[in-house]
Parts: sequence; C-alpha cells; structure tokens
Amino acid sequence: MQVSRELSKMLIITVMLTPAVLVALLFLAVPAALTILISLTELDYRFKWIWCSLNNYARLLTDPTTRLVVQATIIYVTGTLAFNTLWGLCLALLSTHVHDALGTFMRAAWLLPRVLPSVLWAMLMTWIFSPLDTGLLNSLIISMGWQPVPWTFRYYWPFLFIVNGFIGSSLSAIVFSSAIKSIPPDYIIAAKVDGASSFVIIRQIILPMIKWHIAFFVAYNTLSLLASFEYILLTLNGGPGYYTTEVMVLRAYHLAFGQYMVAMDFGYAATYVTILLVVGLVLSIVYWRVFRLRRLMIEPKLE
Amino acid sequence: MSLSSSEVVIMVKTRTILLYLVAVIVALVPLIPLGLLFALAFSEHPIHIKGFTLANFEFLKTGVLFPNDPRYSKLYPNVYTSAMNTLLLALGNMLFVTLISSMAGYVISRYSFRGRSALLGTFLVIHGVPASVLLIALYYILKVTGLLNTLLGVVLAKIAVDLPLGVWVLKGFYDGIPWDTEIAALVDGAGRFGAFFRVMLPLVLPGVFSIALFSFLSGWGEFVFIYTFIQTSTNWTMSMLIQSLHTSEMGALNLALIAALSVFYLIPVLVLFVFGEKYLVKVTIGGVKG
Repeated sequence: MQVSRELSKMLIITVMLTPAVLVALLFLAVPAALTILISLTELDYRFKWIWCSLNNYARLLTDPTTRLVVQATIIYVTGTLAFNTLWGLCLALLSTHVHDALGTFMRAAWLLPRVLPSVLWAMLMTWIFSPLDTGLLNSLIISMGWQPVPWTFRYYWPFLFIVNGFIGSSLSAIVFSSAIKSIPPDYIIAAKVDGASSFVIIRQIILPMIKWHIAFFVAYNTLSLLASFEYILLTLNGGPGYYTTEVMVLRAYHLAFGQYMVAMDFGYAATYVTILLVVGLVLSIVYWRVFRLRRLMIEPKLE
Repeated sequence: MSLSSSEVVIMVKTRTILLYLVAVIVALVPLIPLGLLFALAFSEHPIHIKGFTLANFEFLKTGVLFPNDPRYSKLYPNVYTSAMNTLLLALGNMLFVTLISSMAGYVISRYSFRGRSALLGTFLVIHGVPASVLLIALYYILKVTGLLNTLLGVVLAKIAVDLPLGVWVLKGFYDGIPWDTEIAALVDGAGRFGAFFRVMLPLVLPGVFSIALFSFLSGWGEFVFIYTFIQTSTNWTMSMLIQSLHTSEMGALNLALIAALSVFYLIPVLVLFVFGEKYLVKVTIGGVKG
C-alpha cells in the first residue's frame, strides 16, 4: 500500500511537471549555457565553432564603443527606473485618493500602453514626437505659426523615458496602490483627527508603510530594464548619431543580427549577453537575501 | 488668522474638485494616442488627421495593400495571411502556456519533492530577466533543429518565455485553495488526478483564465522573435507587417493606411482588454507577489 502511494505520487509529479521542466530546460537553461559557450568562440555567419578563449572579453575591454554603450545603459536604466517609480507612485496616490470607480478606471487606462502590441505603441510615439514636420506635435506647432522642434533628435533620452515609462509605471501603480489599500484605515483616520494634512499623511504614514513594496519594485524593475531593448529597437534604434542610445543588449543585438552578413558576429555579441547574465544572477542572489524570497517557497505541509 | 467654518468647507470642496479634475485628466492621457490612431485611420489625408473616410480600409476586401501598384504589392504578404499567422501564434502560445503551467503550478503548490525550491527559484529569476537576452543562443538552436524561419520555432521560444510567469501565478492561485477542499474530494473516493481535474481546476478557473488571456495577448503582440527568426514574408505576423511598412518609403507616405491596418490589428486586443482587464491585473500583481 505504502509503495503504491509513493509510486502514484511519483507518477503524478512526473506526468504533470515534465512538460514545464522540458520547455524550461530546452529553451531557457540550454540557451543560457550556450550563450556563455558562444562568447568563448568566434562563431559567425559560417556557424563554425572556433574557440578563442577570452579574446572576446579582451576585445570588449579595448573597444572604444564599450564606454559609450555602458554609459547609455546606465542612463537608460536609472532614468526609466526613476520615471517608473515616481510616476507610478503619483498614479497610485492619486487613484487611491479619489472615488474607487475613478481610481480603478485610471489604473485600467494606464494599463493600456502595456497591453498594446509593442510595434503599435512605438509607432504612435514615434509619430507624435517625430522630428520631421509631418510629426503630430510638429504639425500642430507649425499650424500655430511657430518653429518645429526636433523632438527625438534633441531630447532622445526623455523620449525613451516616456515611451518605456508609460508602460512601466502601470505595473508600479498597480503594485503601490494595492499596498496603499492594505494600510489599515485607522492610522489615516487617527492622523486626520489629529489635524494632519494630506501631505503629512502621505509622507509620514503612507510612504513609510509601503517602502518595502517600492524597494521590491525598484529591484525587480532594474533586472528587467537591464535586459530590455525592444522599444529602443523600434524607435531610435541606437541613434540619433553615434551610439547615443545603444544599450548593452541592443549592441549585442546589432552585432548578431544587424542588417548585413558582416554583422553576424555571434561570438562577440554573446560576450555582452554573458556579462548581463552574470550581473542579473548576482543581483538576483542579493535580492533573494534582502527580500527573504525563501518564504515564497515554503514546502507544502500536507500531501 | 482663523477661518470660519463656511470658509473651511469651501476650501475643502475646491480642493476636492481640483483633485478630481487632475485625476480625470491623468486617466485620459494614455487614451489620447489611441484616439489619434483611430482618427488617422479614418482620415482623408494620408499623413494628417482630416475629414472622415472609409477608403483606408479598402485592403479588407482582398487583403492586398496596394492594389494600384502591383509591383509594390508583391513586396508585402496578403494581410489575411499575416493575420492568420498572428492568430496561430497567439492561440498556440495561449494553449500550451495555460496547459503546462496549470499542471506544473498544481504539483509545485501541493507536493514537496527534491529540486522544488531550485525549480521555483529558476522560474523566478528567469521571469525577472526577460529571456530575449537569449536570442543569440535561441537563434542557434532553431537553426540547428531546422526550425528557423518557421512559425513553430517562434511559438516554442515564446512558450518558454511566458511559462515562468504562468507557473508562478497559478501556483499562487492553487496555494489559496484550502487543503480541506481537496481532502474532501479524496475522501469521497476521487484519485489525485480526479481531484485535480474535477475539484481543483474549476476552483482556480479565474487564474487559468488570467494566464490564458495574458499569453494570448503576449503572442498576439510579439515582435522581436518574428523580426529575428523569420525571413519569409508569408510567415510574417501583423506586427512585422506593420513595422516593415512603417519603416519603408511607401509607408511614410501612407501613414493613414498603416493606421487603418493597426486598427484592424488592434480590435481583438481592445475587446479582450475591455472584458478581461480585471484578470490582467491579477497576473500583474500575482507575478510580483508570487
């Protein structure tokens, strides 16, 4: 009896878990290992494995573009992160201070850019902020008799912060507002009775009580921003000019899948990705400790 | 200076009205780009918003984008071919992600076994780091297996990317169901499989629905995998068709046509969004809280 129960447990686990493990192994774990291996080769359009030990890493250190790329990555991640967190906080505070129906509608509306296909969102933003006279903002400005503004040529970082931030702040708004709603109303009522203004309540009660949610969002968002490049690829594609908005993943993408055959420099491209994978892994381990994520994985008590 | 009570009431009322005004304006901001897109799609002028016409939707009749310019038309696939590919990718992704994660989420929630924490941890880390960084290796794998330039290859890669979130969210939903419910089913003579299909699965239906909706929309909007892995234009999805038109010379002159095509592409998204918004929020929160 005992043996058959063990057996049926094994059977259930195997049958129901195998597909997930298989997919994760074949399309996530193997590619991660493969990326590291490719970074040690001169793999190019001929798809021949020519080992070159750490040559690619040496090349990365001496490459004059590396500094620009790292710089762009830092600006992109910190700028977008600041936009996502601060604007998300504003949305959360605003939507919890008005009637619940309006607040819910507001958060839903801000979820829309996230749900839109990336191509459409990028196209709309490019059209609105186009530096050409045909762009929406510029055609409005011209019709009023003013000089057109070269939006994305001059203000390329703010443009990217808006394009990405409209999407990222919907997530932070939802997370923060559900945290704000879980604050016991007694605290806020007591503060109001004592004559505290809304500003004081936000600063002295709400913000301290949701600081862990904010920290978690910042940590989590840093990881995903480090690896995000889709909206840059779709809008400015590393420009304008010389590597101004070329972040690390985008650089890897261009090295591997640029327009010409000479671009298929998979070995060197994988070097950038490997560095990002290592950074991501280190950050994950740090977060693991800081946020005590282990408690999410408590073993089930019964079986 | 002391204020009389009526002055205080007026001040509070003004502030409340101001607060609501700001809130309404902020709530409408993300809808503006969408409104502009619709206005452009029905515009008489090819670049500016002007008048109202249905002419931009002519392509719906035959699926041919430039009927007056056959040479140029040949560069692009039939719109309905692209739409079909988009639907296949979205449905394939939805079906497999939902099926696989509803099984895996159950086992991870209810059983303890060796490697459970490692598996969950891996899913959490991978979910945090978008798998698009693995494009180079995925390209190599698809090339070796002969799946490059096929929709199947894209679907497989897409499933892998969306699966970790699905497992986490559904594990959370299963965790929320008390053990008593399942034990009652077992006492009544159901096997573990029977209890899973007839008792547990119906109870986590909102979770299953959320993941299905999320993975459908994720597949429907996918761009980078198509752009990287697909060369043949008959295997394009709508996202690739629109992007390719947008960056071409002809497209820059026909913005209204692209807008009309975008509206066609967007309708299913908007319908699903309006009806399923509360489920999508569940995925967003569940994905972070675990």
